[in-house]
Amino acid sequence: MLGRPPKPAVQRTRRGFRINLDIEERDLINRLLDELRSLLTAPAGDDRLRRLFPSAYHQPQDREFDEEFRRLMHEDLVASRIAGLDVIADSLRPTDTGHPELTEAQMLAFLQALNGVRLVLGTILDVSEDHDMDEIGDDHPMVGEYHLYDFLSWVLDSSVRALQS
Amino acid sequence: MSPAAAPLVVNRPEQNEAIAPDTPWIVLVWNDPINLMSYVTFVFQKLFGYSLEKATILMMDVHEKGRAVVSNGTREKAELDVFRLHEHGLWATMQRDDA
Repeated sequence: MLGRPPKPAVQRTRRGFRINLDIEERDLINRLLDELRSLLTAPAGDDRLRRLFPSAYHQPQDREFDEEFRRLMHEDLVASRIAGLDVIADSLRPTDTGHPELTEAQMLAFLQALNGVRLVLGTILDVSEDHDMDEIGDDHPMVGEYHLYDFLSWVLDSSVRALQS
Repeated sequence: MSPAAAPLVVNRPEQNEAIAPDTPWIVLVWNDPINLMSYVTFVFQKLFGYSLEKATILMMDVHEKGRAVVSNGTREKAELDVFRLHEHGLWATMQRDDA
């Protein structure tokens, strides 16, 4: 699992976008998307979500604007992310026709959701910009999460390239 | 809503934003260790209709200088842009354009 096949994770086809991931990898992504959904509906203030809901106004004199923005927009931001998860729901489930094909709308929602999971995982791991797997030994307590993070980076990068192709 | 003072000339015709933009606010995107460079570039293309070239230059600005101004306009427009950037997981904020 989590190996790097020679093909890109996502490829543009004539009809849409083919996801070149095996069933275990798709199951893993589905589980992560389900976790993101439950995190999003959890009570506010969870520190793992801070990168999903940053401040809009960073200057001290705009604090009231920021509070107003958060009050008015937070629910919309949650709703938008949930709607994105709904768009891709089931599209990655195993089918008997082989690798799933996503439409462009599903692909865009997939991109946003994958990035959401990476933001949560990256926040939990407190990753640095030049984070290097070689420095994370096999005995590191979070080595599994680091591998997961790199796997998601690979799928996300491949998704962007497919959309730009 | 807007903190700008009331205009002295009340009869002024609606200004065309494309010609004389009302630009008291700027939207900034900040460098962060998580978002992928390719993803940030793509979001700039998608949200603002920028070419790959322009989006890449902006992304590199964010990456190398720590932040870049990605759009500007009225407070309402800036809030909408910040919201759309947050929807896509980018670290965006807004401030008055004091420059």
